[in-house]
Amino acid sequence: MTPAHPSFEAQLDAYLDGELASTDARELEAHVAQCAECARFREGRLALRAAIAAEVPAFQASDVLRGRVRAALKNTARPSGLNLLAWWRPLALAASFVVVALGSWSLAWQRAAGAALADDVLSSHIRSLMPGHLTDVVSSDQHTVKPWFNGKLDYSPPVHDFAAQGFPLVGGRLDYLDGRTVAVLTYGRRQHFINVFLWPRARGPSGGPNTRDHQGYHLLHWTTPDYAYWVASDLGTAELRDFVRLVQRADSAETGGGG
Amino acid sequence: MLESNELARFEAAVLPHLDAAYTLARYLTRNDHDAEDVVQDACVRALKYFNTFRGEQGTSARAWLLTIVRNTAYSWHKGHRTDALTTEFDETEHSHAVADADPDAKETLGRALERLAPEFREVIVLRELQGLSYKEISDVAGVPVGTVMSRLSRARTHLQRALRKED
Repeated sequence: MTPAHPSFEAQLDAYLDGELASTDARELEAHVAQCAECARFREGRLALRAAIAAEVPAFQASDVLRGRVRAALKNTARPSGLNLLAWWRPLALAASFVVVALGSWSLAWQRAAGAALADDVLSSHIRSLMPGHLTDVVSSDQHTVKPWFNGKLDYSPPVHDFAAQGFPLVGGRLDYLDGRTVAVLTYGRRQHFINVFLWPRARGPSGGPNTRDHQGYHLLHWTTPDYAYWVASDLGTAELRDFVRLVQRADSAETGGGG
Repeated sequence: MLESNELARFEAAVLPHLDAAYTLARYLTRNDHDAEDVVQDACVRALKYFNTFRGEQGTSARAWLLTIVRNTAYSWHKGHRTDALTTEFDETEHSHAVADADPDAKETLGRALERLAPEFREVIVLRELQGLSYKEISDVAGVPVGTVMSRLSRARTHLQRALRKED
């Protein structure tokens, strides 16, 4: 026999692991009993198993990690509803009434991909409200926040401060959404926070904003020719729309576009 | 409230396997900080998809959690890292199963395991440290049982070579 043949070795391993079907196992057993090379192979594997047991540790999750996990689970379960995907079906139905009622709102919300992304944006927003998660760079100065993104992203997001209009810039951070690292800008309004997620898109028509409300949070999504925008906040819808208009105006002023 | 019930059920099913989750993440990421982030992420993901787990039959909660940990570790490396770990995570089965040894470092079995390409490393961890069946490993790694069989065998042969050097 030739243990150099990999599939034979693999079968021998499966036999030693008790994973071979019984008929194959009986056949191999008879062979191994009278084959010196196979006996050596078995010795080697047994020695390896002993060495792994002695030298390669299984780790234990620390209490700190257990605490972190519990906190994250609680945070996921509580404010956003346990399973946003499961929530989605009745919501989609409800949304269809909303769309009819409000007429001008886009049907984009009904697209499954958009729904999953909306979930992610909302999760990220809620996560950001945990202590210490809101911003990676804290500054009300757009000229501090914008360069902070240099080298961290493959695009340079437009950053504006709207303190004069009552929406001061609080800072920025990175997040991971829609399969890419994205810029998040955080603004304040009284005790509320507004997260603005934006990332470049393949050039296309402007659209939106579309609105979705979920458990006290509002999400707005729109696109400019260059960027996809998502805004999440618990701020009232009217004020949030004022804010979105500010962002849109600043964006179109910067890019010179009409959107 | 239905939601807190759901969370309690999830915690009862999944949290007993946190050590196993951390061990797999630790060997895949090769450092404890990343491993903890991966485990936390994976648990949150698992909670979101808990309803899909209860729909499946014949899958243990442990294997199910480990599947999510594994996928989280792989995508986490793709998404957040551009260092040498990424290229190793992209290795296919046909490339070298083993990275070059640091000639100055004393060879140990643990080090040899860390140098195995992740698809070989994970089968060793799942089988030898956590005692999963071939079928469970095939579910976790998303490859056929035959592939599990041959990866495990090749990985063991590599480690045995390292063991001989150690002596």
